[in-house]
Amino acid sequence: MSRRRRRSIFDLMSEYMEDFRTWAEEMIESMIAERPSWDVRACCLEPLCNVFVTIDEVVVTADLPNTNPESVRVKAVGEDLIQIKAEMKRKLRFDDFGITHRKGEFSYFRCQVRIPVPVDTEKMKIDFKRGVLEAHLPRKRSYDVKVR
Amino acid sequence: MSEPVRIVEKKPIPSDAIVVQGLPDVGLVGLIATAHIVSQFNLQEIAYVDSNLLPPIVVLHNGLPHSPLRIFSNKNLIAVISEMPIPADAVQPITQALVNWVESKKAKMTISIGGMPVPDRQDIKDPKVFGAASNASALKMLQEKGVDILREGYMVGPQALVMRYCAERNLPAIALLAQSFYNYPDPEAAAAAIKELTNITGLKIDVSQLLEKGEEIRLKARDIMKRTQNEMTRMKKSREYDLPLYV
Repeated sequence: MSRRRRRSIFDLMSEYMEDFRTWAEEMIESMIAERPSWDVRACCLEPLCNVFVTIDEVVVTADLPNTNPESVRVKAVGEDLIQIKAEMKRKLRFDDFGITHRKGEFSYFRCQVRIPVPVDTEKMKIDFKRGVLEAHLPRKRSYDVKVR
Repeated sequence: MSEPVRIVEKKPIPSDAIVVQGLPDVGLVGLIATAHIVSQFNLQEIAYVDSNLLPPIVVLHNGLPHSPLRIFSNKNLIAVISEMPIPADAVQPITQALVNWVESKKAKMTISIGGMPVPDRQDIKDPKVFGAASNASALKMLQEKGVDILREGYMVGPQALVMRYCAERNLPAIALLAQSFYNYPDPEAAAAAIKELTNITGLKIDVSQLLEKGEEIRLKARDIMKRTQNEMTRMKKSREYDLPLYV
């Protein structure tokens, strides 16, 4: 007879938290109006981005095909927000995507990425490999606690 | 009550064919690879999948509407591609319907192409390809062809269920998973998977065009990648990183 493995309280909590996170993400998604990944007025495309949080640092990556590493600019626009901008090697038009019912051209990738934990943006280090940008932001280790 | 998933055949379907499946998943590896195969062999649309489990979407090509989930073929090769991610809730009924259909057409073998996410993908010049099989004879064939076997671990998503349903019926199926980015389109990984497919099947597929068009594919595939990532989150794709427990 097969025996079912008993799930520990930690397994159950972990599953509950994962379900809750998925539900919260879906709720947020349904509340925010979807917008396109392009902006004709700003002539830019929004790149695909990722944020990984490790014990020591936050790593932000962005997929930037059709760009030169020299044109990539990353700057902190707040304590928890960085902006990535990169010029394209060749301007793109909707025609290049086979779309003829829209007009416009794109010369940049641009996005802003929110950093979920405190980081030291001044110590940010940037790599660019295989068309993928990698920004390493060391996490802040100490906090000032206000004395009442 | 109508069937939840219907495969509508438009032309005669060859039997004894190799079926290649490339549904949107990690790095869109399967979709990019299979779309390249469709283009290389100039495969013709022979069937499509209709289901009320899929969003109300048609894809327009040259002004005409098509189902996003279509089946292409020539005499001895069938290719299944989807131009939209399969919603997490629909993966099970759709893969089951596809396996039923493949069985009814007496296919020689089903080959699912996909990606295997690796965190340091930027540092990998030549992505490795790993294989998994639905039964002992398919596994032996992979080993004889020198494919690295995925010995332990989890598979999540369409390829996982294709393997499971094929295993249940002892249908020969293999999965070819190339090291890839998780949520960035990865044409290089797709090319690596195609090279392994060539090794296994003997089909001659040139990947030079695919590699040349790599940047263009990455630009065009951004939106489908983003939507695929949402579905991967829903189906808990990250469990592929988990370490399995055997006692």
